[in-house]
Amino acid sequence: MSVLVSVEQVEKSFPLPGGQEYLALKGIDLQIHRGEFVSLIGHSGCGKSTLLNMVAGLSLPTGGIVALDGHTITAPGPDRMVVFQHYSLLPWLTVRQNIALAVNAVLKNHSPAERQQIVEEHIDLVGLRHAADKPPAQLSGGMKQRVAIARALALRPKVLLLDEPFGALDALTRGNLQEQLRRICEEHQMTTLMVTHDVDEAVLLSDRVVMLTNGPGSRIGNILTIDIPRPRRRLEVVNHPSYYSYRSEIIYFLNQQKRIKQWRARRSTVVARHGLEKINLEIGFVPLTACAPLAVAKEKGFFAKHGLEEVNLVRETSWRGIQDGIQGGYLDAAQMPAGMPVWMSLGGGDNPPQPVVTALTLTRNGNAITLHKRFYEQGIHTLSQLKAYILDSPSRRLTFGVVHPSSMHNLLLRYWLAAGGIHPDQDVVLKTLPPAQMVANLTAGNIDGYCVGEPWNLRAALEGSGFTVATDLEIWLGHPGKVLGVREDWARAYPNTHIALVKALLEACRYCEDPAHHDEIRELLSRRAYLSTDPSYIHLGDPQRLICDLDRPMREYAHHRFFLGAGNRPSRTEHLWMMTQMARWGDLPFPRNWVEIVERVCQVGVFSTAARELGLDVSYQRQPIQLFDGIPFNGEDPLAYLNSLAIKHDIYVAEVALDRRPVLL
Amino acid sequence: MDERSRYLILHPLYRNSDLDQGLLRQTLASLQRVAIGYCSAALVGITLGILVGSSVWINRALDPIFQFLRMVAPLAWVPISLAALQRNEPAALFVIFITSIWPILINTAVGVRQIPEDYINVSKVLKLSKVDFFFKVLLPSALPYMFTGLRIGIGLSWLAIIAAEIVMSGVPGIGFFIWDAYQQNYVTEIIVAVIYIGAVGLLLDRLMSVLQNKIANQ
Repeated sequence: MSVLVSVEQVEKSFPLPGGQEYLALKGIDLQIHRGEFVSLIGHSGCGKSTLLNMVAGLSLPTGGIVALDGHTITAPGPDRMVVFQHYSLLPWLTVRQNIALAVNAVLKNHSPAERQQIVEEHIDLVGLRHAADKPPAQLSGGMKQRVAIARALALRPKVLLLDEPFGALDALTRGNLQEQLRRICEEHQMTTLMVTHDVDEAVLLSDRVVMLTNGPGSRIGNILTIDIPRPRRRLEVVNHPSYYSYRSEIIYFLNQQKRIKQWRARRSTVVARHGLEKINLEIGFVPLTACAPLAVAKEKGFFAKHGLEEVNLVRETSWRGIQDGIQGGYLDAAQMPAGMPVWMSLGGGDNPPQPVVTALTLTRNGNAITLHKRFYEQGIHTLSQLKAYILDSPSRRLTFGVVHPSSMHNLLLRYWLAAGGIHPDQDVVLKTLPPAQMVANLTAGNIDGYCVGEPWNLRAALEGSGFTVATDLEIWLGHPGKVLGVREDWARAYPNTHIALVKALLEACRYCEDPAHHDEIRELLSRRAYLSTDPSYIHLGDPQRLICDLDRPMREYAHHRFFLGAGNRPSRTEHLWMMTQMARWGDLPFPRNWVEIVERVCQVGVFSTAARELGLDVSYQRQPIQLFDGIPFNGEDPLAYLNSLAIKHDIYVAEVALDRRPVLL
Repeated sequence: MDERSRYLILHPLYRNSDLDQGLLRQTLASLQRVAIGYCSAALVGITLGILVGSSVWINRALDPIFQFLRMVAPLAWVPISLAALQRNEPAALFVIFITSIWPILINTAVGVRQIPEDYINVSKVLKLSKVDFFFKVLLPSALPYMFTGLRIGIGLSWLAIIAAEIVMSGVPGIGFFIWDAYQQNYVTEIIVAVIYIGAVGLLLDRLMSVLQNKIANQ
């Protein structure tokens, strides 16, 4: 497909009264291919209509170039016909006259008879034969917009530009019109650029959805390619397996933009007190049983005890939200999946490397792998049985949910599958979903199983939608679950705050470990501010009663460990193991400078200082990691270890340069 | 009621001399002047209004002048026009013209300036020719405003003609008739004439309203 419209480094500012300028758009790069349907989505005032108007030529960029077919756009023209939100039909002309006015003005080299035929053809195209001689005032909103679309299409534009075409219509009419527009665009291979507010509309119609960040200085935040085959019918497209993940991707983006706006509005002042550099902290967490130490530190006053008097726990629904919050500096610290500090430091997910450090392992264990109960009924109770099933049914690839590329769930599930001879990228499909959506997706049949933290395994078992096929016991007993993560520049700017934070959370971990407090913590976690679920789903568990009995999947098997003394120390060996696993699946290169990176990520000194000040004995001995398949990992030679693994992606090794970013204040 | 007034009411069309005519004849004479003055005001007003409305710069330059002239009362124009034009008849026409042109001009200009952005965008995208734009977009869009101006204008011109005729005596017309009656102390005749004036004003306004509904309110 060749490029039809190209937007290069476009910038647009508007003069404000008082001589100042408002920068609406900045650094916009976008290429629209012939026959492609592209949507622009974003919050009000983000400049999406401005961008559309620049393609139309109705306003010109103050920087950069907008070109059609290689020619810079300097003025409006009928080859870029616009359909406006408010129809913009001339009220003193009838439907036919409105279309004819455009056709006569533009298609001058056609004979009058040909022109008339084109007009009639397009009246029929939008089904308005019965209203052809009525003035717009006698038409409903939907009919008016159909006239506007017919008028635009009649001119055979190279690009059709739609500015919130259905924004003013009621839901039913909108649905019908979307369907008609989709059909017409598909049949005519129309190149289309549409501005919209409606997420479902964008997913239904678009090949690509361009998401704009909030102004001033809006940029393209993300471009989502909607890979759903055409023709797409409105009622069928929602059943496509990817539909909801596209939809939630866009909604996540829009929510994130809204929150950034709120964050910006709340002036972030640094409050220093008690010899700490900053005592007002925003700490992110995801509602899971494993967030207990954070909830306890807040509710039982451990934060306040260590001088952190203004801690605000920010509830995120997905790890992606934590990642973005830390990356954008909106969160001071966060509960993170164990692999996230390494993953972010190495620039996972095509982000620029963002050095993140951890000085505390918050929890160990607490994960499990759940399969749909269908497998249980078919007698698939073990990994080898699952492999046999996959070999028997090559036509359908099973889909498994994980919560984040950097989470232990992803790494453990992959390891578990690979150990059983199943290639996690070739034999099955792994999909990223927020933890709280796992059970619903399993029930709906979108996924066949998942690896996630509690309470979501227990819940599926209790509800009868799935069963636990493997727990920590079967994979890696005592694996790190969640860690405390902060940006490296943050840790450097607020060293005493960092130590106080680790002290508060370490004390909270010790509190959580005591079985005498378990009922209290379960009640606390079940509150609306945290998991907002029934306490019967929340179990902190006793590691001495580890049972995963497939015949009785309701038995307790959640066995978080919150406090293990030396076990809360950030382990270089473990982080190095995670680094090898990320490289194993081609997610990231294996860093040649892995020694440096492990040293920087694991802030052992902060942990030791905090533990010493609390009077805890955290002496430890380095031990190799032992997983269920019996292959030890001692961290001496990670590349040799990688090479020894049978199932893996092509591994590439590269130097990862961690730049020292300016200290964030 | 005296005999003269009764005669006036019963014989609206009598004619003894140029200045001694029935009330209907007097009214028609006045209306004729209004027609000429008002039509030229409409022509000039709409043309100037479109010009002023379509250019911000012309508007900035001329608007203060228009606002200045608009505030001058019709009666104040009478001596000026008499001095300038020397004769009663053209002077009367000029007073009507200058009184009724302002609302027409200003409303037309507003109408042109208020063409919805959407219509302008459409014509830009379609690259409509100047002629097409004028007749298919600008004129129909500004028409309601123009008619508002025309309707105010016709009322004003009727007001002005009475005032003008009272002052510049010696021409047949309903204004002069009142002045003459006042000089001779025929108060009842004045009342009869006032009823004529009011009725004609009402008719003129209704006429414009019918026209407006027919043409502008499609």
